[in-house]
Amino acid sequence: MTLRWTISLFLFLLTASMLINSCKKSDTNRKGPTPLAFTVPPGFPQPVYDFKDNPLTEEGFTLGRKLFYDGKLSKDGNFPCASCHQQFAAFANFDHDLSHGFNNLFTKRNSPGLFNMAWQKEFMWDGGINHLEVQPLAPLTAPNEMAEDVNNIIIKLKADSLYPKLFDAAFGNPEITSQKMLLALTQFVGSIVSANSKYDKVKRGEASFSSEEATGYQIFQAKCASCHAEPLFTDLSYRNTGMPLKVGLMDIGRMRITNKSEDSMKFKVPSLRNVIPSFPYGHDGRFYTVKNVMDHYSDGVQSGPTVDPLVKNKIPLSIFDKFYLTQFLYTLTDSSFMKDPRYSEPK
Amino acid sequence: MKHSFQKILSFVTISAFTLLTLNACKKDKSAEDVQLPPEVKDHNLVLKFKAVIDTVPLEFGKSYQNFFKQSFSVKTFKFYVHGIEMINTDSGKVFRTGADKYFLVDFSDSTTTELKLAVLPYQYNRLGITIGVDSARNVSGAQTGALDPAKGMFWTWNTGYIMAKLEGTSPSSTAPGGVFEYHIGGFKEPDNVLRKPVLLFPFGQSLDLKPGKTSEITVTANIGAWFYNPHDIKFNENPVCTTPGVLAHQIADNYSKMFTVISVVNE
Ligand code: HEC
Ligand code: HEC
Repeated sequence: MTLRWTISLFLFLLTASMLINSCKKSDTNRKGPTPLAFTVPPGFPQPVYDFKDNPLTEEGFTLGRKLFYDGKLSKDGNFPCASCHQQFAAFANFDHDLSHGFNNLFTKRNSPGLFNMAWQKEFMWDGGINHLEVQPLAPLTAPNEMAEDVNNIIIKLKADSLYPKLFDAAFGNPEITSQKMLLALTQFVGSIVSANSKYDKVKRGEASFSSEEATGYQIFQAKCASCHAEPLFTDLSYRNTGMPLKVGLMDIGRMRITNKSEDSMKFKVPSLRNVIPSFPYGHDGRFYTVKNVMDHYSDGVQSGPTVDPLVKNKIPLSIFDKFYLTQFLYTLTDSSFMKDPRYSEPK
Repeated sequence: MKHSFQKILSFVTISAFTLLTLNACKKDKSAEDVQLPPEVKDHNLVLKFKAVIDTVPLEFGKSYQNFFKQSFSVKTFKFYVHGIEMINTDSGKVFRTGADKYFLVDFSDSTTTELKLAVLPYQYNRLGITIGVDSARNVSGAQTGALDPAKGMFWTWNTGYIMAKLEGTSPSSTAPGGVFEYHIGGFKEPDNVLRKPVLLFPFGQSLDLKPGKTSEITVTANIGAWFYNPHDIKFNENPVCTTPGVLAHQIADNYSKMFTVISVVNE
C-alpha cells in the first residue's frame, strides 16, 4: 500500500517537473540569441550609440545584414540600402556624385561611407537625424530613394518564408514590427567599424609611415585636423567651406534643420577615413578627386557670411603639400573592413 | 487511520503539483507604475473624443466654413495625447495615469478615440492632458505602439514626431490641388509645440469614481479652433505647415484651446 503511494507520488512529481520544464521551454529556458561583443578600438572615444539598449547579438546582426542587402525593403525591389552603400567603396556609392533611387530619380546629396556610425550623434550631411535607429526611415520612405511605406515593408517581411524565423531568432518572438526591423538594421550598420588602416597600424606601432606619408601627416595636423580631427577624422561639427551654392540643388545644409541663418550652407565635416575609395567628394559629389578638394581649399573658397574662419582666407597649399597630403590620405584606407566577409552580402 | 493519511498525502501531492505548475507558467509581467486598489482592474474611466466643427460633428469630406467664412473639408484629423491627469482643485489632489502611455487619437479609426484609463477612485473636477510627444521620446530612437513611426506621424529627414495633423482641401487654399496640410511638430525650444490644457467640467458635474464602477467623460475636439484665437490662420495665407517653427507654434496655441468636456457620466 505505502509502496503504491510512493510510486504515485513519484509519478505526480515527475509529471509536475516535466510540465515545469515544458513551460520554461516556451519562454525563459530556451537558448537565447548569442551575445556579440562591440569592441572600442584603442584610442577611440566611447561610442555615442549604446548597445546596452539594443543588445548586440549574432542573430540580430545577421538579420540586420540581410535587411541591409534586401531589395524587398524598397518599393520596386531594386534599391536595397546596399545599392547606394557598397562595401568595396567603404559603403559609399562608388563613382556616383548623386545616387540613383526609385523611378529614375536621383538623391540630392552624395552618399557617404558607412563606418564608425556608432560614434556619430547626428546623421546626414545636415545632421537632421538625431538617432542611428531612426536613420533608415529616411531612405526607406524617400520618394527618390527606396520609396516604400513602412507598413508595406512590414507586410512584405511577414509574408516572407524566412523573416519570421530570423526575427524570432534575434528577438525571441516571431512578431515583426518596425521597431525590431530598425533595431536589427542598427545592429548591422552600428557595428561596422573601420580602424585598421595603415594609419591605425602606425599608431599601434605595427607599421611606420614612409617619409612622404610622414610629411603629409605633419601638413595634415597643421592645416586640416582642426576640423578633420583624429581619431575619427571629423569633429562632427557643421561648417561652411565656401563651396558655391549649386543652382538646381539650392542646398542650404544645416539651416534646413535649424532654420537659423547662421547655419546657412554648413555641412557636417565628413570623416576622411577611407576617403580615397569613396570618391566623388563633397555633399553633392562635385569633386572627383581629393586633389580637386585641395584645389578648392587653396584656390576656390568663396567668401560669404557663414564661411568658416579657418578656410575663409583659403588654405595655402603648394603642389608639394598636396602631393604629400594625398600620400597621407592613402594611409587612411582600411581594406580589411571593405573585404570583411561579415559585412558582405549574405549568400 | 491509514486511509486518512492517504487522503492527506494525495491532497498535499495534488496541491504541490498545482502550485508548481502554476508558478512555472507564470510570465514575468512588468510592474504597473500606478498604485491602484485591486478592484480597479483594467480600467474604470473611459475618455471619449468626438471631432466637431464648432457645434456640428465632423464628417470627413463634407464642406464646412472656418471663422473667416472660407469653406473647407477634412480628410485627416489626428493627434497624440498622453500625461492624462485627474485633478481635484479643492483638495489639491492630482492623479496621473501612466505618464509613459501614449495614445494616437485618429478620427478615421473609431478604435482609437476612446481611451480606457485606470484611475484612483476619488472625486475630481478637472482633466489635464498633454497634446504631443515629450522631447525624450523624440530623441531616443525606434519606438513602438502608438509611437510606431509607421503610423505616419514621424518626420524622417528632421527627426521628430508630428504631434497633431489636420489635412483636407479648401477652395481658398493657394497650395497645389487646393489642399491644406497642417503637420504640427517641434520639440526643441523655442519651437516646442507640446501643449498641456487643463479642462473644466460642465457646470455642476464632477467625476465621482466609485470603487468597482466605471465613469465616462466625453470631450469634443473642435477643428474650428485651429484657425483663430489668438492667431489668424487662413487657407489663402497659410495652407501648409509641415516644419517646426513660428507658424507651427501659432497653430498649436490655437488648437490647445480646441477641447471642451461636454459630459461626465458616473456609473
Ligand atoms: C538611393 C540611395 C540610397 C539608399 C537606397 C540608401 N541610402 Fe543611405 N544615404 C544616401 C545618401 C545620399 C545619404 C546622405 C543623405 C543626406 O545627407 O541628406 C545617405 C546617408 C546615410 C547615413 C548617414 C551617414 C552619415 O554619415 O550621416 C546612413 C547611416 C545611411 N545612409 C544608411 C542607410 C541604410 C541603413 C539604408 C537602407 C535602409 C540606406 N542608407 C539606403 C543614399 C542612400
Ligand atoms: C573648417 C573646417 C575644415 C578644414 C580646416 C578642412 N576641412 Fe575638409 N571638409 C570640411 C567640410 C565641412 C567638408 C564637407 C564640405 C561640403 O561638402 O560641404 C570637408 C570635405 C573634405 C573632403 C571631402 C570628403 C568627402 O568624403 O566628401 C576632403 C577630401 C577634405 N575635406 C580634405 C581636407 C584637407 C586635406 C584639409 C586640409 C588641407 C581639410 N579638408 C581642411 C571641413 C574642413
